[in-house]
Amino acid sequence: MKNPVTVASGTFGYGGEYDRYFDVARLGAVTTKSLSLKPRPGNRPPRLVETPAGMLNAIGLQNVGIDAYLRDKAPFLREKRVPIIGNIYGATPDEYAELARRLEAEDAADAIEANLSCPNVHDAQRATGPVLVSQSCEAIGAYTRAIRAATRLPLFVKLTPNVMNIQEPALAAEEAGADGVCLINTLLGMAIDAETRRPKLSNIVGGLSGPAIRPVAVKMVWDAARALRIPIIGTGGIACAADAIEFLLAGATAVSVGSMSFRQPDAAVQVVEGIEAYLRRHGIGAVTELIGAMQV
Amino acid sequence: MAERDVRFIHEAEVLANDAVAPGHLRMRVRAEEMARHARAGQFCMVQTARGLAPFLRRPMCFERILPDGFQLLYKIEGEGTRLLAEMTPGTRLSIQGPLGNGFDAGPDVARRIIVAGGIGVAPFPALADAILAACGEPPEVVLAARTRDMLLCADLFGALGCRVHLATDDGSAGERAYAAQMLERLEPGPDTRVYACGPIIMMKTTADVALAAGAECHVSLEAHMACGDGACLGCVVEAREEREGERMVRVCVDGPVFDARIIDWEARDHAHDL
Repeated sequence: MKNPVTVASGTFGYGGEYDRYFDVARLGAVTTKSLSLKPRPGNRPPRLVETPAGMLNAIGLQNVGIDAYLRDKAPFLREKRVPIIGNIYGATPDEYAELARRLEAEDAADAIEANLSCPNVHDAQRATGPVLVSQSCEAIGAYTRAIRAATRLPLFVKLTPNVMNIQEPALAAEEAGADGVCLINTLLGMAIDAETRRPKLSNIVGGLSGPAIRPVAVKMVWDAARALRIPIIGTGGIACAADAIEFLLAGATAVSVGSMSFRQPDAAVQVVEGIEAYLRRHGIGAVTELIGAMQV
Repeated sequence: MAERDVRFIHEAEVLANDAVAPGHLRMRVRAEEMARHARAGQFCMVQTARGLAPFLRRPMCFERILPDGFQLLYKIEGEGTRLLAEMTPGTRLSIQGPLGNGFDAGPDVARRIIVAGGIGVAPFPALADAILAACGEPPEVVLAARTRDMLLCADLFGALGCRVHLATDDGSAGERAYAAQMLERLEPGPDTRVYACGPIIMMKTTADVALAAGAECHVSLEAHMACGDGACLGCVVEAREEREGERMVRVCVDGPVFDARIIDWEARDHAHDL
């Protein structure tokens, strides 16, 4: 990566959606929408609710599927010569492994990000215990090992913040061979219309993102960084360069800009430029000097 | 954070922002470049706050496209539109667009009827302008609302020479009738294109009347949106059939204007009306 800034999966489509706003090759990498073996229709609408300084979504991993990605989407990103982080979602470890294998075989990704933490693909009304793969360290181990065995590409595991202690799942990913973790996916949340008494999302629960969650995400990156040897991609509510630098200082090696791209389509490239300006202003030679450099 | 000049994102200037009915306003903004590229039925994403709350932009159709900008007609629904309503002339605001597909205003049919329900009239003055320009004659207009106060834009349509048929739910102006009933009385036929926008039930019943008469029916849908440009997949509605493997259509880039036949209106009945 020529700079430490990518975009969060699901907030940037397959890259081409933002081509008319700026040159996506200016990013350190583009992270794709989660890809599954078969196309997924996603959840029924309504899928989106705005919340204070953020939003709840329950898209449900609608995506074109790996075949259409390889045929229709990857060529654009390859032509742009921007590194691709292929985000994948499957129902079983084997599906994840197959997705990673295909992305590598077809040269359609430079790294894999395994989404073990989407909150929107389970039946919220039936769920009682842990419903996300990354809420179980055993499951993280099994999934990560399966993907690790299937690809030589750098492997990042994206984890949920909906856990008691983020160090445990992060260490489980590291021990199973992940090259890095991505923190954090959305926080589980819900919203109810007081007048109609109905949930505002058809899925009832959704994932909270946006600036509202940034302090939670920074804390989790800080927690995880003290336990891990592998790098962290920090994400959660980054709206500007100062927000991104917070994540670096807390211990992230790279950052991804998420929901802010919805509000300001070129937010991620503004973060790239803002970090460069920060480094100049502070006379810092390399952005890596900021990693974990919070002064207490 | 400083807003920059990015393609498709413009710093517009509020020129006027006035109440037109209780809780409804019309904003005129200067945005020359966007106006040059905008078509009737397209929309823009308006940033209502400099700060991060409200977080998302608000999708708003062009009520009218002018040489130096456009008009937006809106109803105060929540925090974003409340902030918009407070803006005074001279205020700068960030607008993204033009977005979406727009209306087909072409002269390939003999007769064109606009059917508007309440604030759903918002995209139609621009369409009437476009039809007049493309076809040499104005469309007919059914303007329906709950009460007299909410019959918006009647003067604009009148000035364009449109035959305007008014209807209210309570009979306080025009006929005491629903929009679809008014359309039925106008006897649309196979050579007619009906354009509808309003509450879901009003668009569904209007489409039923139009399609039963062999007419085309184009509907302009509204949805909550995060990005407005095809990435977030938050604004989808369900289609009746899969198209290219997709059951969902995105209001932002596949629409907001759709052939009424492709929309699964039963699913829309179950979805929450916005």
